[in-house]
Amino acid sequence: MQRVMEHQGKTIHSIRTGIACNLDHDILAAALPLLEEELVDAVEWSFDALYQHYSIPAWFEELLHVYSKAGRLIGHGVFFSLFSGRWLPEQEAWLKDLKRLSSVYRFSHITEHFGFMTGRDFHHGAPLNIPFTENTLALGRDRLARIADACGVPVGLENLAFAYSAEEVRRHGEFLDRLVSPVNGFIILDLHNLYCQLHNFSADFNQLIRSYPLERVREIHISGGSWEDGLPDGSKKVRRDTHDDGVPDEVFSLLEQTIPLCPNLCFVIMEQLGTALKSSASRERFRADFRKMRAIIESFASKLRLTNHFTPLIPAQLGAPVEDEQLWRQQLTLSEILETAASFQEASNRLKNSSLQNSGWQIETWAPDMIETARKIAVKWKNPVT
Amino acid sequence: MKLPKSLLGAILLGVSIQVTQSSCSKDDRDLNPQPLTEQPGTENEPGSYHPDNCPACGMG
Repeated sequence: MQRVMEHQGKTIHSIRTGIACNLDHDILAAALPLLEEELVDAVEWSFDALYQHYSIPAWFEELLHVYSKAGRLIGHGVFFSLFSGRWLPEQEAWLKDLKRLSSVYRFSHITEHFGFMTGRDFHHGAPLNIPFTENTLALGRDRLARIADACGVPVGLENLAFAYSAEEVRRHGEFLDRLVSPVNGFIILDLHNLYCQLHNFSADFNQLIRSYPLERVREIHISGGSWEDGLPDGSKKVRRDTHDDGVPDEVFSLLEQTIPLCPNLCFVIMEQLGTALKSSASRERFRADFRKMRAIIESFASKLRLTNHFTPLIPAQLGAPVEDEQLWRQQLTLSEILETAASFQEASNRLKNSSLQNSGWQIETWAPDMIETARKIAVKWKNPVT
Repeated sequence: MKLPKSLLGAILLGVSIQVTQSSCSKDDRDLNPQPLTEQPGTENEPGSYHPDNCPACGMG
């Protein structure tokens, strides 16, 4: 259980520091000294990455159980595809698996990503944004209720790094709030994702952070990323949430500024991919980043007071899944264009002549460099080893 | 959080013999390394090795 105590009628708590930890040699090798030093309060596990039906080594299972029994195991889904317009067999299977895992492990909470997955299946797709409409709102609420029903613990959504336009960036927080409110859900505020948006859309932090429902932030992520050319002419760099480098100083600064604004914050998790942790130097940097994060968290210890435990509000009857066939067809069209267009120009031309024109997607407002970034993301997820 | 010494030792051993794999590699070539000990598999569960090698959202 979260370490809590009553104090003058209010609940005071300590924030847990943790790592995103999957069964990955490089992550575990980098994290082992931190585990030995008893610095890792919590573990976040992407439970739906178990897609190859292999069994887990007993020691990794025990690691999960130890954190589970302490109420410090977080489940972080990647592949549910919350906003797919059509209800898919993969989603049904995902929920069934979540329900089974929830009987094996005691998750402190379960989270997923905002957006929908492109690609022919859930493991060959990219998470992309969706139109902020009443239809997508109803769809997302329906899916969140199903996740809450399957796991029976607090559920949350992570803000997306990618956006097509400044208007989407401006509205993302409010839309997240409307999505999670009916299940008393929470937000994972990924500060590197926010950092991407601050740069990619020249946004102001103080303005953007206030557009999020900060009282609903139960978890914060920090990570590193990379810079890439937005367009082939190299005129603008785009920041991407690739998790393949150390945490930038700017993100640590965002963490210091954000923590006091989030009264219900319980976990701060550092994410980095194992592929970026092959050298001794990168592993040292990983540990140094973690210690820096922990020092920041400790400076705020015992200063936060919980006002919401995010106990899920689950509907008595779920009914038939909400579906939106037009949205589904548009998602297929967008995925196909992004995955197969050979260049930005081709993608742009095909979008202008597609069913997405003059629709809720508002492709007319999409920034050219972000169209190109979406194309690169879609290609990368479709062919991750190329 | 304090972890049992036996668990830390097991993790060290697991990491040392490298039966785990890197994240973010979906190439089937990476899914079949030689584990040190292999349990019997079934048609749907081909062996004891589990790669857990999905991107876990780091490809945005």
